Parts: sequence; structure tokens; C-alpha cells
Amino acid sequence: MTAPILRAQDVTMIFGGLTALSEVSLTLDRGQIVGLIGPNGAGKTTFFNCLTGLYTPSKGQVLLNGRQLPSDPAQVTIAGIARTFQNIRLFPNMTAVENVMVGRHARMKQGPIATIFRGPRFRKGENEARDRAKELLAFAGIGRAGDELARNLPYGDQRRLEIARALATDPQVLLLDEPTAGMNPQETEATRQLIFKIRDLGVSVVVIEHDTKFIFGLCDHVSVLVQGKLLVEGPPEVVRNDPHVIEAYLGKPPEEVQAEVQHAAELLGGHDKGVNQ
Amino acid sequence: MTKTFLSPPIARILGIAGAVLAIVAAMLPWTTFVLNKGAWPDKATLQFFDAPFALTGFRWELFLVGIVALVCSVVKVPAQRRVLRGLGFGVAAIGLVNFLFITAEGGGLGAVTAADGASAFGSVAALVAGGLLILGTFGQPLEEIPRWKTNLPTPVEYLGLLVSFAVLLYVVSLTLTAGGQGGAANPYSGPMFLSFLGFGGGLMAAAAGLGILRWISKLSEKHRAFSIIVLLLCAFLLPFTNAGTEYWMTVAANIGVYAATAIGLNIVVGLAGLLDLGYVAFLGIGAFVAANLSGAAASSLGIHLPFYLVVIISAAIAGIFGAVVGSPTLRVRGDYLAIVTLAFGEIFQIAARNNIGGLTGGSNSIPNIPPLQWFDGTAYNESITLFGTPLPSGVLYYFLIVVLIAAVMAVFANLKNSRMGRAWIAIREDEDAARAMGIKTGKAKILAFLCGAVLAGIAGAVFAHKTSTVGYESFLFMESVTLLAAVILGGMGSIPGAVLGASLLFVLPEKLRAFSDYRLLIFGLALILIMRFRPQGLIPDRHRRAELAGEDAEGHTLAETPGDEPEQPRPQEVPAR
Repeated sequence: MTAPILRAQDVTMIFGGLTALSEVSLTLDRGQIVGLIGPNGAGKTTFFNCLTGLYTPSKGQVLLNGRQLPSDPAQVTIAGIARTFQNIRLFPNMTAVENVMVGRHARMKQGPIATIFRGPRFRKGENEARDRAKELLAFAGIGRAGDELARNLPYGDQRRLEIARALATDPQVLLLDEPTAGMNPQETEATRQLIFKIRDLGVSVVVIEHDTKFIFGLCDHVSVLVQGKLLVEGPPEVVRNDPHVIEAYLGKPPEEVQAEVQHAAELLGGHDKGVNQ
Repeated sequence: MTKTFLSPPIARILGIAGAVLAIVAAMLPWTTFVLNKGAWPDKATLQFFDAPFALTGFRWELFLVGIVALVCSVVKVPAQRRVLRGLGFGVAAIGLVNFLFITAEGGGLGAVTAADGASAFGSVAALVAGGLLILGTFGQPLEEIPRWKTNLPTPVEYLGLLVSFAVLLYVVSLTLTAGGQGGAANPYSGPMFLSFLGFGGGLMAAAAGLGILRWISKLSEKHRAFSIIVLLLCAFLLPFTNAGTEYWMTVAANIGVYAATAIGLNIVVGLAGLLDLGYVAFLGIGAFVAANLSGAAASSLGIHLPFYLVVIISAAIAGIFGAVVGSPTLRVRGDYLAIVTLAFGEIFQIAARNNIGGLTGGSNSIPNIPPLQWFDGTAYNESITLFGTPLPSGVLYYFLIVVLIAAVMAVFANLKNSRMGRAWIAIREDEDAARAMGIKTGKAKILAFLCGAVLAGIAGAVFAHKTSTVGYESFLFMESVTLLAAVILGGMGSIPGAVLGASLLFVLPEKLRAFSDYRLLIFGLALILIMRFRPQGLIPDRHRRAELAGEDAEGHTLAETPGDEPEQPRPQEVPAR
């Protein structure tokens, strides 16, 4: 097996006195889909922000192809990690094609002088970017929306557009932050197929999601994050049946809760008796 | 807007009544006595201005609007209510302007009603007529703007564009000369001009309602190259019209300099979304550099370089300052950036006033900058004869500035539709997302400042030679604000918008001289009204139009979701299921 494409080692993130992440590690192999699940506030998005240079980890390091990640989001994108956002952050007043063309920014090389004089090379680069953008829109399944303003697209298409825009940066690793939030089952399934297609392009994917069913049906490897700590990791079938995960997600099984309640009642009762005595 | 309180027949009657009343108003006398500053409106005799049926000046304009309104209310035209409402506002505006002016100048309401046995209800009738016309359109919701075919045979489309642009040239010429040159000899130029604006605005609104303006803009987008050539030709033909006098050429050239500067500012404000309150400093830097290199006696350098070199040096130095001012943008955003740029503008102005390094002439300014020379040695401020037509002096500067604006527009358009332009717009829309797309936002912002400053520097070099005197008082904070207002008024990010905005902002004060005391008040009111009713600007950029008017690219009004959270600046559709 080849060396992992992305490796996060003991990433710790402290904000003031709050430890948002503590020694979280994650390994992503080429062509792999890794899922990151956990309850709200578990630190999933914070972890993403550490992977994309938005935050610099307080401790630990992130390596892309064995190289330390730069601490500037633009440089990280240029190095080959692209992301989408939890609450969609498109450029609302640009058309879909223009949004994706912005994604091509780092892969185009046209200085201001060439831009002003518009030589044949400039036109060629511009046309290539436009063609690639249209190609990616078609790939994401919204080829017909090219000239619509992003803000006028339906919600599901906005999510797809964000993915197409991220793909335009020619990433090796794609980080998706809740790509199916607010989607109906059909849309969720379409997104799952789209992620498989992206994996087949040779892009490795990390997905944050609440929907455990979606994650278990998609990922090769799942990490569970609870209160800033890595709780369990492993293949979906292992993680799915792990009692800690079930507890974190569903709470304790009823009989166990029952027992605890009784235990508590006894304690209280004992206490009451103590008071009475 | 779905409430209907007027049945169609009543609305129709109101419309016809309003139109007829407008025509009648044009026939009625308008003042009961001679105004103190001479007869009203055309400095004619007493019999003339209060005589019935005397149709000249604004009364002729009112008559025309009335006829058009009558035709449109009787004949079933498309989007009738839109057209009539536009015309109604025009009629009301003409009535209101003259009502107020005659009342103020004539010493009270007697001047516009009845006094000393004479009666003059012209302006009152016009106001009522406008009101009726507008009221008649409130019965039902406004119609969709009709769409005209834009896939006609090419020669027909070309002809359509030619005619449209010829009309535009005529309108520009009329607007410039409307009311005549202001000043002591012509105290009525202000109201005459405002009346003309009401007239023109009414007709324009009607044309927009009929969908003609949209048709023209669609066609000109389709035949871009052809439109640009014809527009340039129109600009060169302006001196051959009535506006071809020295005065108007000077005014037009002044507007041109500021229009070019406004386009430069549009890069910074309109595209990259960085508020710059000291922008005029770059125009000043360009102008002072050019003045010092022009061989003017007062310049301390005493060098005389050819103009093309001067332009390049001015642009370069302004650009360097642009990058310097832009560098704080790496650290500050929004309001704080505005304060930094404001401070830079003040520093420049005070430095220039104190004659730093002997380069600015201080309060003496740098006078007697030699005019530019054409290849055969003709100075630019001489009058010339072209195609057998004698043209006034200053016309060569006008031509130079038309070329300058064309070049600046081309640069702006090329930058906007490029990798760089998209990066700027992306930064304006969402800076964090832009960074996540691999855009080095700091570099991009400095480049925006640099490009804007270079354009202003070029404009400044021309400005120095045109005005022949460069002093700090041309580059005060007020000028920066006016430029900013021009950009916002015209429509941020839009090229024709910046030109129109600059024209309005620099023509209006010139035209409103007659109201010296109220000039700024009227000016401010006009700005407030425009911003209230057209927040996206007069000729909005496609993107901004959508953003501020709640319209998509095709102009359909969208249902806006009110009260968006600041964290989520775009209205998101809730999934249907």
C-alpha cells in the first residue's frame, strides 16, 4: 500500500481555555472516502478548519503527501486540498459558471498586463477555464444551470455547485462539510453517487455528516469524534456496532437507563432516609 | 399590489382626463406678473409668458408629453399603465419645478394662481394632470415589461441601433444645452433644465415601460463591437451639434475626466468591494506629476517631457501610491479601511497645500501649464476646422478625453471579465470563500488599488494640461465623495453607469447655478430620491442588479426572504419537501 495522502497527527486545538480538539489523528489513503461523524459541538468543523489552514493547530501537525501544510487557506488550496462549507458559501451574485471559474483561479496564469491586452494566449486560457467549468457543472449534474446566478439556484443545486467549484481547484483531497444537510432522501442518494464519482476520479474525500446511515453507506473508514476526542475509528461495520458509538448517538439502551434510574432513586431514597433519620 | 380600487373604465377616464389637462396646462398662462429678473420663461415680453397658447420652452415639452399621454391612454399600447405612470411623473415634475420656482421668485402663491385680476393656473393644472395620470395607473398591478423580438435580420438590428444611438446623441446634446448656459445673463437656466429633465425622464420612463430600452440594451449586447464603434462615433459627433460651443466642450471635457476617474474607482469599490474615501488623491498625484514634467514655469523640476512619457510616469507614480495605500487592506476591513483611505486623502491634500518638496505650488498652485500640442503644432486649446465646420476651442481636449474614456472602459471591461476580475468580485461576495478557492486575497486587493490608482493617474495627467492650473483645492474630500457617489449612483461595477453617474453629478451643479443657495439641497434631494427608487443604480451591473433589486438576470422580481441573518448573507430556499 502507498503512503497516505493526508495524515493528521495528534491535532490539538485550544481556544483560550477551551480545548476544542485533543490529539485527533486521521489518515486518508489515495482514493479513499473517510467519514467523520459525531454529535453537535464535537469539533468536526474545527478539525476541518485545521486541515484547510483556516486554523493553525495548537499542537500536532497535518501532512499532505508527507509535507507540512501551509497555514494560509489559499496556499492549502493551491497545495491540493479543497473544501465546501457547512452553510453554503457560494458567490451568490455570480453565475454558476463564474463561480466554478473562480475555483480555477489558482490553476490559471494570467497577469494584469496579459489581461488588459487580451492576446491569443489569454483567450485560450480563458476558454479553457470556461470549458472546464462547464464540464464540472455537467459532472455535478447541474450542467443546465450554467448561466443562472448562484443565489437563484435551488438549495440542492447550490450544494452541488459548491462541490463543482471545489473540484475546479484540481484537488487531491476534497473535504465535504455536511454535504447532505437539509436534503430529501432522493437528493441524498444523488449526492452519495456524486461522491463515488468523485472518488473514481482519483480524489480522496473526507465527509462530515450527521446522517449515520449516509456515512455508513458511503465511507471506507469512519472516525467518530465526541467532545473533541477521537472515540472510535474503523470500517463502517465495526463502528456501527460499537457500544460507545451507539451510546454517544442514541444514549444508553433502555434497560441500562432503567437500572441507572433505579440506582439513582435508591441513592436519593437512601439520602432521604438519612435526612429522615 | 393586487388590490384593485379603480375599475378599468374609471382608470381609463382618469388617464384621458389627465392627458387632456396636461395639454390644457401647456396652453394656460403660468405666471400672473413679470418676474423680477425678466420675463418668464424665455426672456420674452410680458405678453409672451402669460399669453395663452404660447408654446415654447417647457410649455412645449409639457404639450408634447400631454399628446403622447393622450395617445397612449386612448390607444391600447402594451404595458399601458407603466407608460402612463412614467408620463404622469414627467408631467408632475414639470409642473412642480415651475410651480416652486415661480412661487419662490414671484413672491408667493399669487404668482401661480390668481392675483391683480390676472390668472395663471398653468403649473397647478400640470400638477393635477400629473396626479390624475399617476392615479389612473394604481387601479391594477403594473404589467410585465413587454419583450420585443431580438432575432431580426442583422441589417434591421443595425439600423435599430443606429437610430437609437443617433437619438441618444441628440438627447445628450439637448440635455447639455437645455436651459442654456447658467449665470447672471440667464437666471432661468436652472428651472428650464429641471423641466427638461422632467420631460426627458417622463419619456424615458415611458420608453422603458414599452420595453424599448431593454430591447436596445439586448441588441447592443448582441452586437457589442458595432455598438461600441457607433457610440464612439456619436461621441466624436457631439461637437458638431448644438452643444459644440466652447463652454459646453469644456463642461463635457471636465465630466470626461471625472468619468474616467470614476471608472477607475469602480474597480476598487464596484468590483473588489473596498470602500475608498480618498480616491481623488490619485487623480491629484497624476495631475501634479504631469504639471511638474510639463515645463511649466512654476514647476520646480523644470523638465519638459513628451506627453506620452508624462502619462506613463504619472500612471506609474499614482500606481505606486495606490499599492502603498492598498497595503493596509491586508489588515483592516470595512469601516476601518474607509477611515484609512480617508486619512490618506487628507494627508495628500494637506501635503499639497503645504507645498511639500516644492512640488505642488502650495496655495499658489502650479499655473500656466502649457497646453498639449497636436502633431502639426496646433495647441489643444485652439479652435479648429474639421470637415468644413469650425469647431470651438477646447474641442481637441474633448476628443482626447473621449479616447481616454474609451481606453479606460476597455481596460476596465478586460479586467472585469478575467481571472483577476472574478477574484475581485469573489472577494467582494465572500472573502473567506474566496481564500478557500486559492485566491491570495491580500495580493488581489492591493492589485485592485493599484489598477484603480493607475487609471486615475492617467486621467490626472490629462486633467493637468486641460485645466492648465493644478492646485490642491481641486482634490478635496468633497471630490472623493462626489466620485464615490457617481459610482454608486450609476451602479456599482457598471461601466456605462459610472459615466452616467459622473455626468449627472458634475452636470447638475453646473446646471443648478441659478439656485445658488439651494443648489446642494436640490442636489442632495435628487440623490436621495434616486437611491430610494433605484438602489441598484441607474444602469446597474447584472450582478448588482440582482443583489439589490431582488431581480434575477432577466429582470423578474423575486420573492425576497426578509431578515436574512448576517451569517448567511444569501437567501436560501427551503427545500420543498
